[in-house]
Amino acid sequence: MSITKLEVARGVTLNVMETDKFKTNYLSVNFLVPLREETASLNSLIPRVLSRGSEKYPTLELFNKRLDYLYSASFSESVMRRGENQMIEFAAQFVDNVYAFDDTDITGGVIEMLDQLIFHPLTKEGRFVSEYVESEKRNLIDSIKAQINNKRYYAIARCGEEMCRGENYRFSAEGTVEGVSAITPESLWAQYKHLLKNSRVEIFFSGRCDPEKLRGIFAYMFAGGMDSIPELKTEVIRTAGEVREVIEDQPVAQGKLSVGFRTGHVLSDGNYHIFALFNELYGGSPTSKLFTNVRERLSLCYYCSSRPEALKGVMIVASGIEVDKFEQTRDEIIAQLEGIKAGNFTDGELESAKNALINGYRAHNDSPAALDGWYLSRMLAGLSDSPDDAAAKVAGVTREQIIEAAGKVVLDTVYFLRGTLLPEGEDDAEGTEE
Amino acid sequence: MNNKATKTNSHGFTVREDSSIGEKYFYTRHSSGLDIYVFPKKLTTYYAVLGTRYGSIHNRFRRDGDSEFIEVPDGIAHFLEHKMFDKGDGVDTFERFSKTGASANAFTSFNMTAYLYSCTSNFYDSLEILLDYVTKPYFTEQTVQKEQGIIAQEIRMGEDNPGRALLFGMLGAIYEKNSVRIDIAGTVDSIAKINADLLYRCYETFYNLGNMALCVCGDIECEKVLETADKILGTEPRRAFRVESVQEPEPRGVYKKRFTRHMQVAQPLFAIGFKDCDIPDDPKERMKRDQALGLISDMLFSKSGSFYNELYAEGLLNPDFGTWGGNEESYSFKSIDGESRDPEAVYRRLMEYIDRLHRDGLCREDFERFLRVAYSEYIKSFDSISEIAEKSLSDIMKGYDPFDWPEVIRSIDFDYVTKVFGQVFRDENAAMATVLPLDDKTKSES
Repeated sequence: MSITKLEVARGVTLNVMETDKFKTNYLSVNFLVPLREETASLNSLIPRVLSRGSEKYPTLELFNKRLDYLYSASFSESVMRRGENQMIEFAAQFVDNVYAFDDTDITGGVIEMLDQLIFHPLTKEGRFVSEYVESEKRNLIDSIKAQINNKRYYAIARCGEEMCRGENYRFSAEGTVEGVSAITPESLWAQYKHLLKNSRVEIFFSGRCDPEKLRGIFAYMFAGGMDSIPELKTEVIRTAGEVREVIEDQPVAQGKLSVGFRTGHVLSDGNYHIFALFNELYGGSPTSKLFTNVRERLSLCYYCSSRPEALKGVMIVASGIEVDKFEQTRDEIIAQLEGIKAGNFTDGELESAKNALINGYRAHNDSPAALDGWYLSRMLAGLSDSPDDAAAKVAGVTREQIIEAAGKVVLDTVYFLRGTLLPEGEDDAEGTEE
Repeated sequence: MNNKATKTNSHGFTVREDSSIGEKYFYTRHSSGLDIYVFPKKLTTYYAVLGTRYGSIHNRFRRDGDSEFIEVPDGIAHFLEHKMFDKGDGVDTFERFSKTGASANAFTSFNMTAYLYSCTSNFYDSLEILLDYVTKPYFTEQTVQKEQGIIAQEIRMGEDNPGRALLFGMLGAIYEKNSVRIDIAGTVDSIAKINADLLYRCYETFYNLGNMALCVCGDIECEKVLETADKILGTEPRRAFRVESVQEPEPRGVYKKRFTRHMQVAQPLFAIGFKDCDIPDDPKERMKRDQALGLISDMLFSKSGSFYNELYAEGLLNPDFGTWGGNEESYSFKSIDGESRDPEAVYRRLMEYIDRLHRDGLCREDFERFLRVAYSEYIKSFDSISEIAEKSLSDIMKGYDPFDWPEVIRSIDFDYVTKVFGQVFRDENAAMATVLPLDDKTKSES
């Protein structure tokens, strides 16, 4: 299965994967811009306001009803961080026309709705409807505040923020409460118009289609393309100074430890599969060093795993532990890394890690959304290799290459969310029933 | 809409086909007693899941020949699931799977435990491992103790999870006796009471092949699946016995109207539960009612409906809103979950809305639209091998045939939906759980 890249307009690329393997098609339109403090909140609010109403579907209710009729097509709008870039994604998954039991053109219908959603928002006096802007500001602020509800991800995000406190990577793609509060219908409209003409746009389609026809449709939609195409780069730091330790208290039961490293490896280096294999061995699977030692041997936790960011070159190891096990867990996480640097792993363990990584790469082929993510990261790194290409390179990696890759990983920041609640029964955490 | 045929292939498998969407499955009962389902699918990945009808609710049971029912500690089914990965020969199960390149996992729900893996090669070698480790228990006091530490951390993690507090708060409010109200993982105290003997007792009762089913999905040959089963499970029938698991009789109506807990959340969360007190005995009828309840929640609470859109416009609801449900022989419920600055106002509005519908009737156009949505969702579910295998296993554990859904959808008419709505969506069947921010507590106390 291969991907075809078609130039739609200046700065707008269509990536097509023609396949009849699936019953559903997948379509996403992604706007990429540099992640900056002054625009992050605005960009984050835009898709929320767009989803409130368009010229043809002025209310959420009408929009969603239309989706129901299009064989329960699903639409999602999301904003995420890719390296030090912000990506605004509009994605749709929908049943292919061949499975329609009447003459509905599902694909055509979905493209029309996407056009409405992105290019034809409901306006009043030449800009967004102000009550939509106000209510979506509230919803976005609620959502930013709700990041604290999930302690595991909160602790990971905080660690990244502390580690990269002088870099653009510290900004959340969702924006900030202060940033969102300051938005006016005028400032949002101006940023929306700017975004439409000054982004890099990647469109991804998987399923049954006529690629040339599709290109024609998007060329019409993006009339003329971009005025300017932003440079999408990410600052990579491969060293760390003195290790910082940040401890934050919160009234929760379990402590959340996040250990941040500079990996010394990024996708654009061209040999990322070696580092990815190291990561698999270190903390990527149930046979990894972290899982088998921190969890299985020492019973310190339920989860302990490492997750690298391939564009920025950082990695965070996350674990949930008893508060008094902080030092022991931190030291073990570091010791396991040092162990790999010293060649302390068997050929069997390396083989297992290879199997897991190859399996993980190849599994992308069964998920259009996963492939979309794969190729977007590759594009940002200036690459275009497929998951199968990457899988083919894994088998040949040697022990020495792993030891060398591990040698470049350095500890940067230790973040601990220290729970202050006593174990259940010793406080009043129990719910009350009426 | 679809045509189905049932025939038998050369290896003794029965074939069931849904030609309208080009899908089929093969079924056979292996000579050991295990039910095997094969869903052929030409994709890159393969998936296998082996399940037993044993979940967190089965905490009071007896086997043929036992005179007394035994009661076991809460969370033991989940604990047992964890312990199945440990083996006496020093070889860890994950390690065995890593040699074949499979990614293995397991989960425990209210009514089942499932062991699974996905892979892109060596499917049959991994299937050998799956069938082998799940049929070979190994528990010692030492390994039980080690697991108590790990699961205690899993439970502590759950204690900080507002969603989990909300879920069990809601179930604990609508159910008074049924064990579905108890957290699947148990508590740190209840799992401390688990020992190797108890684990063996539960294993011997519920992990007999007649109580289990295997679903595999991918580019798979039935014959090879049978060969693997023969090799690992043998061809002799295993001793079959009956398991009796009981629940204390559940009174009609809800137990408590409210559950409230204060946690560190940004905004109040709510779950409004509706309890179905008239669960049919016949699986086919249950399937129909299950589908009807899904249609009703869509008609009432979907994002294309008036309830959500009115409250959204007023700022009482935000995009974090949705419905879900659960059901088997002894319990059935629907839950409406969301975030709101004023959950009591949402509850009040919801009850007024339902009252109005009881008075004026449901909307026929909505009903037609969601029939279409239901069928579309059925089609969409055949794009992911994990979803095919897991959803099918879940259906099979409940006594449903996974290919019966289109027929069930067609059999539902507006009158039936109106009847079920009238029985379930009533004030006496409803309760609300809320998780409120900690600072609200400070405010209310000061």
